[in-house]
This record gives sequence, structure tokens and C-alpha cells, in this order.
Amino acid sequence: MNIIETNHLTKAYGSFTAVSDLNLHIRKGAVYGFLGPNGAGKSTTMKMFLGLTKPTDGAFHIDKKRFPQNRTAILKKIGSFIESPAFYGNLTGQENLDIIRKILGLPKESTADALELTGLAPVKDRLARKYSLGMKQRLGLAGALIGRPPILILDEPTNGLDPVGIHEIRSLIRSLPEKYDCTVLVSSHLLSEIELMADDIGILNHGHLLFEGSLHDLKSQAHDAGFPVDNLEETFLAMVEEDNRRRSK
Amino acid sequence: MNFFSLISIEIKKIRRSKIFLILLAPVILMWLPAIINSGKLTKIQDISILPAHNFFIQGFMGMVWFMIPATLIICTVLLTQTERLNHSILKMLSLPVNSGLLCLAKFTVLLILPAIQMFLSIGVYYLSAYISSRMQEYDFVLPLSYSLPAIGKFYLAALPAAAVFWMISTLIQTPIFSAGLSLAACVPSVLMINTDYWCLHPMSYPFYVLMIEYGKAAKGVYETSIDWLPWIPAAIIITGVCLIVSCAKFGYKERK
Amino acid sequence: MVPKIEYKKLKRTGYVPAFLLAALLAGAFPVVNMAVRKESFLSLGGEPLSVLLNANWQMMAMLNILLIVCGACMMYHTEYTDNGMQKMELLPVRQTSLFLGKFLIASIMTAVMLSIEFSVLAGCAVYWFSDSRLNPMILICHLSFSFIMLLPTIILMLLIAQAFRNMWISLGIGVILVFTFSILPQEQLFFALCPFSAPYQLLDNVHADGHVGLFLEIAALETLLFALTEFICLKIRRNFS
Repeated sequence: MNIIETNHLTKAYGSFTAVSDLNLHIRKGAVYGFLGPNGAGKSTTMKMFLGLTKPTDGAFHIDKKRFPQNRTAILKKIGSFIESPAFYGNLTGQENLDIIRKILGLPKESTADALELTGLAPVKDRLARKYSLGMKQRLGLAGALIGRPPILILDEPTNGLDPVGIHEIRSLIRSLPEKYDCTVLVSSHLLSEIELMADDIGILNHGHLLFEGSLHDLKSQAHDAGFPVDNLEETFLAMVEEDNRRRSK
Repeated sequence: MNFFSLISIEIKKIRRSKIFLILLAPVILMWLPAIINSGKLTKIQDISILPAHNFFIQGFMGMVWFMIPATLIICTVLLTQTERLNHSILKMLSLPVNSGLLCLAKFTVLLILPAIQMFLSIGVYYLSAYISSRMQEYDFVLPLSYSLPAIGKFYLAALPAAAVFWMISTLIQTPIFSAGLSLAACVPSVLMINTDYWCLHPMSYPFYVLMIEYGKAAKGVYETSIDWLPWIPAAIIITGVCLIVSCAKFGYKERK
Repeated sequence: MVPKIEYKKLKRTGYVPAFLLAALLAGAFPVVNMAVRKESFLSLGGEPLSVLLNANWQMMAMLNILLIVCGACMMYHTEYTDNGMQKMELLPVRQTSLFLGKFLIASIMTAVMLSIEFSVLAGCAVYWFSDSRLNPMILICHLSFSFIMLLPTIILMLLIAQAFRNMWISLGIGVILVFTFSILPQEQLFFALCPFSAPYQLLDNVHADGHVGLFLEIAALETLLFALTEFICLKIRRNFS
């Protein structure tokens, strides 16, 4: 069953089309990897899912609910992490999470739980302004994971983390559907990363969906189209380049 | 999510902002010259006014004319900047809370901060009245039954201006522009209250109320009773329209 | 080169339009005042420019000072928001010259603003007091005096704005200073000489008291003093941050 589905979803800013005619199918309980180069429209799509921006055309539903009628109901279910981390610099990590926790009406323990999950517990009393880039990123993640919501929308969650951090966060995301029943939509511009985390993959370029399906499907489809398949990163690059070439014609 | 816990969250957000000092400083600076000048007040003046009343009114004049509106503007900047500095507004808008309600909660905090300043000014007023009394051997201290309602009125009269400033700050995203515009709007208060159109200029309401108090204490300086009729409806309409516009437009830029 | 860079940083911040807007707003005071209460001013007698300045300068000066406060906050706000300041510290350019570049631009914009305001005043004098022959030299003297009176305020405000990362603090301090000096007794020479307070002074009145030289010297001294303070601040900051 698809928990998120989009139907010809389009977003245009003036003459620039950020997302064009997008049909996504995100299965419940799966980790969906959203892949594409910078500026492909991943963030815009995610923002639409959060009601932060309005589609110019098309529609989508999340758990059978729609914006703007069911805005509160939808947002209660989604933990999100969008663009660069958003936080209050004058507050500590814990205070930042407490604000989110209160708005979501969660019990007190959930703050500690989120801090623990993201490894921020030792620095929870430090001002968020004084966090390192990686810590800010983790704080953003903690703000998404708090209360263990059934749907997670994470925009490039491993940006700015060190290799150990990247590994930790990847394993965390990978393990989430098993830990508790949830669906994850995670974006990245690295196929190698998505490969390690995702069950399903959607590849986006210039706002168009180039591919959607499982990793296995991707391999066979790429093989049929004559793309290299030994290294998936190359497959991805070849697909994007091919698309760009077609587009520039 | 009820409104009161939203307000408590909004208050939490301005921790460590040093706003308390910004609220306190003008109150103290306002009364220092009043204490220094208190000697002049006990001497004979060309207008007949009790020195104690004169002390109170002269002391509050600068506060009411400029500092209350200016405090509101600074607090507006504080509230909008804490939200925008690290994109935290984006996080807020992606949480299950009504943005109009969020806007109202912030506006409530905007009203709480000058209320704190009013309480501070009551305290500092009594302190400086006491000091001046000791210095001049004249009783400058007015009863609470006079000072509290008067200060309460100044405060209430400032609320429509708060709504205007709040609307300006939601409509004009560049903080310095909205603050500058709001500050510039305060300057002509002195001129406005002598025209028939003062009702349309919310920044001069507190000054008007003070001038009425002045008129009551010293005959012939100004009118002695408040013109309720065009004023109250005008104030309600201005406040209402500004709040509706700001709630509707709150966060619209982030949601493009 | 540095002022050019500083000017570039202000692109799209609305800095220049803000000054022009403020000049027009301040210029509106004498125009509206004359349009509404022409008779009471015409009957006063004396130099038209002096009459106009006496009637309007308090308000106009306050607007000018407020704009200088906002302008300084704006300049450093653009530095601090996206850590532009940090980058500047890493480039082979002196912090002090960046500061002076900002001061230069703020001064030029203030001069432009004052020129517009005085042109409006001159216009009012010619239009309403039609019998007068306006002496351009007197106008320029007034303009230059007002400009020099504003310099300490400009540099002090820049000093405050660079010291605080959070804009509401610098803006708050600036506004409190504007307010405090506007209620202090201006007739006392000591207070009149302070920044934030000197800009309210009029050349006529100062001249009548025979204090013109003193005011100019003190303004120059204050400007130098604040510049020096800023240099020391930058040194200290570099050693401790």
C-alpha cells in the first residue's frame, strides 16, 4: 500500500519549473531513496509534502489526507528535516527539542530519546549556535525523529557529517522501519548512499522523474538501456548525463 | 496544542536574548534626569500644577511619546529575528500548529514585554519619587490609586500601535526596513495630537492619553477629558485589521 | 577600493533607497507645516531659512538620527547574517579600513540626505517667503554645520552596531540613546555637545552663543575618539576571539 502518492505534481516559479509532472509511489514501511543532482527538485517536492509550498498543478496525498484541509493531521504524522538545519541559536539543543516536543504534545521522555538516538546527549546543554556543523545536523535530525513519527521526510540528512557520523546516521535510518513501524523518504545526491539505505529509489533530474523502482529494477533497466551497471554511481551519472543531453537539444 | 502553551513556548524562544536589559535601561535613564531636575519643580512655575503631578507627567512624557513605541519596535525585531536567524521558522511551519495561532502567540509576547517594562517603570518611578522627596523635602510620591490607572491607560493606548508594528514586520521582511519605517512613524506624534486626525495615528495614542492627564493636572494645558467616540472605534478597527492581515500573511514568504 | 567593496555589499539591502526615502519624509515636514500653518510662520519675521529650521529641524534631525541608527544596524546586519564578516576577517584586508569604508559611505549618504532636505527647505523659503533672496552661501554653511554635527553620531552608531551580533541589541541601544539625549536638557552646553544630541543644534543659535568653533572642534574630537575606540576594539577582539 502506498502511504504517499503524487499525481502529476508540478511546481513552477515563474518560467522556471522546479518539479514537473511527478508521479511518486512511496510504500508504507519502506525506506524510499530520493536521488538527484543538486537543484533537481528534491527539496521542493519535500517542501510540498510539508505544506511549505503549494503545488502549481497536480496533487498528492499522504496517508489518504490532503493539504490544506488536513494540514494539522498530516504534520502530526511527519517528522521532517528540510534544507539546512533550522534551530534557535540562543537555546541549547535540549531546549530546542523541548519546543518541538511541546508543540507535538509528546511526553517528556521523547526529548531524551531523540537526543540518545542521534548521539547528542553529551552536548544537550550547549547552545545550538555553538554546535559544530555535524551537531547542528544531528539536532535537525533529532527534531525530525522526536516522538518517533510514522513518516519521516529527511532532506540530505548526512550533509556535513564526518564518515563515522554518516555511517551512524545511515544505519539509524536503515534500522528505523524495523525499530518501529515507519516510512522514510530520504533524499541524497549520492547513489552509493541511497543504495545502502533504501528499498525503493526515485531518480529526479531537472524536475523530471527518470526512474522509480527497486534497486534490482534499476539495474535491469539500466542494462537494457545500455548504461554501465558494474558501478551504480556510474549508472546514475550516465542516466543524468543522457537526460541532460536530451534536454539541451 | 492550546494557546497558552504556545505562548509559553514563544517566551522560551527569547531566552538569553538580553531583552530584559533593553527594557530596563530606558526606564532608569528616563528617571535620572527627573531626579536631577526635581528641584526646579518645587519652585513657582507659569502653569499651575502640583509639583508631584508635574514630576510624574514630565517623567513619563519621554517614555510615552517615544520609548513605549520604540520598545514595541525593538521587541518586534527580536521576535522576528529569533525566528529567521537560523531558519527556525521553516521548522515551525512544518509542525502541526496553525500559523495564524502562532502569529497571535508571538503578538501576545510582544504585548507582554512592554507590560514588564511598565511594571519596571512603576517601581523606578516610586524609587525616584522617594529619592527626590528626600532631596527636596517635598512629597513627590503619588498614591498607587493615581499612578496605576494612569500607567495602565498608557499601556492600553499603546496596543493598537503594537498591532501596526507587528503587521509592518510581517509584511516587510527586511527587519531594518520594517523597524525604520515604524520608528519614522513615531516621530510626528507631537504634531499629530494637535490635529483632528490623531485618531488615525496609533503611535500617538499613548501620548494623547498622557496629555489628557496633563490637562487634568494643570488647567489650560490640554483638553481634560478623552474624546472616546471617534477614538475607540478607530483603534479597534486599526488593531483588528492589522492583526487579521498579519495572521493571514504570517510566514507567507517561507511558504512560496 | 575598500569603500567600493563596502558599497557593493549594500546592494539590494535597500540602504540607499532608505536614505532617499528618509530625506523625502523629513522634507515633507516643512512642506506640510507651511501648507497648513503658513500665516503663523510668515508673520514671524527674520531670515526665512531660520524660521523654517526653527519650526522643523527638531523633527527632521530626529528622523536623520533614527535613519543613521537603522543604517548602521543594516550595514552590520548584512555582515553578520550569513557570516560575511567571518570571511572578511580571513581576507588580506584591514578590519580598520573596512570600518572606515563603512563610515565613509554612511557619511556620503548622510550628506546626500541632508542636501535633499536643505534643497526642500530652500524651496519652501523661495516659494512661501517669495520676497526673500536666498543666499546660497548661508544655505551651504547650515548644511555643512548640520553634516559635521552628525559625524560623531554616525561613527558611534557604527561602533555599537559592529559590537553586537544580534541586531535588536544594537538597534535597542541606538534607539535608547536617541531617546535619552532627546529628553536631556539641550540648553546645557555639555549635553548639547554629545553625539545624538548635537545634530539637533542649529547654526543660528550656536552662532548667537558664539560656540560655533567649540561645536566643530568637539565634533571632530568625538569622531576621532570613536574611530580610535573602534581600532582598539578590533585589536582586542582579534586577540581574544
